[in-house]
Amino acid sequence: MEAIRSLGRAGLFSLSVLRASTPTADFFTELLREIYKIGARSLPIIAVGGAFVGLSLTLLGFRALETYGASNQVSVLIGLGLYRELAPVLTALLFVGRAGSSIAAELGLMRATDQITALGLMGIDPVAKAVAPRFWAAVLTVPLLTAIFVSFALTASWFEGVQVLGIENGTFWQVLRDSVDFRDDFLPAFLKSAVFGGTAALVASYVGYHAEPTIEGTSIATTRAVVNASLLVLMFNFILSAMLFR
Amino acid sequence: MPAASPTSPATAVQLEGVRLERGGRAILSDIDLVVPRGSITAVLGPSGSGKSTLLAALTGELLPAAGTVEVLGAPLPHRRRDLLELRKSIGVLLQGNGLLTDLTTAENVGLPLRTHTKLPKPVIAQLVAMKLHAVGLRAAGDLYPRELSGGMARRVALARALALDPPLMIYDEPLTGLDPIASGVIMSLIARLNASLGMTSIIVTHHVHETLPIADRAVVIANGRIVFSGTPAELDATTDPLVLQFLRGEPDGPIAFDAVARQEAA
Amino acid sequence: MASSDSRPAGTRAAASRPRGPGLEFAVGAFLLLSLASLLVLAVASTNGKFGFSRDSYDLKARFTNLGQLRPMAPVKIGGVTIGQVSGITLDPVKFDSIVTLAIDNRYREIPIDTSAGILTGGLLGESYVGLQPGGDVEVLKPGEELVYTQPAVDLIQMVGKYMFGGGAGGDAAAGGGAADSGSAPPAGDAPAAGDEAATATVPSASPAAADAPASATPDSPSPTEPTP
Repeated sequence: MEAIRSLGRAGLFSLSVLRASTPTADFFTELLREIYKIGARSLPIIAVGGAFVGLSLTLLGFRALETYGASNQVSVLIGLGLYRELAPVLTALLFVGRAGSSIAAELGLMRATDQITALGLMGIDPVAKAVAPRFWAAVLTVPLLTAIFVSFALTASWFEGVQVLGIENGTFWQVLRDSVDFRDDFLPAFLKSAVFGGTAALVASYVGYHAEPTIEGTSIATTRAVVNASLLVLMFNFILSAMLFR
Repeated sequence: MPAASPTSPATAVQLEGVRLERGGRAILSDIDLVVPRGSITAVLGPSGSGKSTLLAALTGELLPAAGTVEVLGAPLPHRRRDLLELRKSIGVLLQGNGLLTDLTTAENVGLPLRTHTKLPKPVIAQLVAMKLHAVGLRAAGDLYPRELSGGMARRVALARALALDPPLMIYDEPLTGLDPIASGVIMSLIARLNASLGMTSIIVTHHVHETLPIADRAVVIANGRIVFSGTPAELDATTDPLVLQFLRGEPDGPIAFDAVARQEAA
Repeated sequence: MASSDSRPAGTRAAASRPRGPGLEFAVGAFLLLSLASLLVLAVASTNGKFGFSRDSYDLKARFTNLGQLRPMAPVKIGGVTIGQVSGITLDPVKFDSIVTLAIDNRYREIPIDTSAGILTGGLLGESYVGLQPGGDVEVLKPGEELVYTQPAVDLIQMVGKYMFGGGAGGDAAAGGGAADSGSAPPAGDAPAAGDEAATATVPSASPAAADAPASATPDSPSPTEPTP
């Protein structure tokens, strides 16, 4: 019963974030700042994560396909696996851990130091000033981060596959290109990413914004944000995959 | 103390028979309060007595369950736009300061000006400099809130609250976490600014001895009611045991030392 | 919120965030880097079908057995992709499938005696429609149907044929591929299959048999395309 009510509250909050998004000069300043904080500063973890995923996926895929004598086709696995599932989901989860937690913590801190109350008393909508820029920054940057993830993963995969495992360079790229459809595999990956980014930002913002104005409250909010956002990302991943890859 | 003029009311704030509830529980009841224009009124009381709830009623954050609240001569508006206009006339200094962490001191102080006026940037910069100068922090314009000490941050928040020259200033626990010197600075600033800018100030605090010297009137809240209302001189001469315990800081008395098992409704 | 008048702890951390022009540069660099990688990925790692179906026209082809053919599968002539499968439906009267081929507008001169076959690209590859152009002067107009088609070959059937039928030869093998039941003795279904396949495949037996999967040499029963 209470769960349904809090779901409703979260939904209403999300609507208010959308309504409060107005393209003013102030908004763009905040947006830029948030893109830096949650996008640019997430680059290292996304890049490194992508590289390692590319390496291990290639190695495992190669070994698995050896029994069919098709190990030089491993780039099919890489391409489809990355674009359809791994890149959007892993990027989103890494994003939730790094940026989602910081969004929740920042908003919780704003609540605890009376910044949100002060904005209200000054006649400024706190949701418009603090939440909306973070939301749109996330929707914009997670697809971009996914692109970075895939770039590093493919580069690492190429290195592992061609340089280490001995797949022929031309075969690697040709098989990859043939198996990844632009409209059916490439584009959906970034659509998913945008949805995941928006979800993560809304969850983290909601939890941080409504945290108890204490130190403990902020810490609880951060944990809740990461857990709930991760679960929602995985849930939406299933739903979107079912819709996109029939 | 400025007398009432044809265009401005004699009382800055008037509460009659107000009852305030949070979550179904009555925090304050039977509140009758008159704050004359130009005065400094101290609202005193133990922690948790509902002082901050009273402030919430004055700014329109919390609507009274009963009674009327009049601010600056007019009843509290219900419509958002009118409430917004009212809030421009009330400066609030919050306990946590509420300074935005991503903005510099100058940007923080200028925020109300940028949001609510169409003044050109150089004019705003001048006004910001003036406000900072009034609190003695003219040189701190480019610092970020995290680089300020507690006392400095409090003064910046005060400068921001004064940005639109509000006729009514509300201070919520302004001395929390400040050392004696910083406390003295804030108190003297409140007194000086109230006089020189012709404002009305309401200070909610439990720092009795630092506040009474500058206050014109004092109100004590305990057990959900006003238990004293009068001048500081009258307060010193009171015989009410509850008020006396509070003033003298005695550990035991009408407010018992041993905590009673509470049946919480919320 | 207790704090003394000394410098608070927050000063040492987080002061490294760039401001003003530095912030703009950092954000700009990030956006540039990621958009560039997006573009490179789109070109280098996908099949480059950025918006195919708008400039195409439709042709139809009937097959008795689709095998693994799906919508969006490519249509190729001699290995060059010229279109894709845009729709597959079943004829409720004759019970064969009608496949709609969306052919790129650049290739409007397909002879009316062109044959279509369902081929697979490699052991693990996807099914696609391979067209073998005929020699007629007349060309197919949009919406017309290809007359000569060859159904998909059931791999297991093929293996069964060669193993039990002792190399029955091109026609029987081609006919045997039409039935889609499990492996059965070749004698048993050759006449039955031959009946339904005859109407569709007999005219094309000569050109089709020459390059159809069935014509693969007896010791390599896998239905791979002859010219990859």
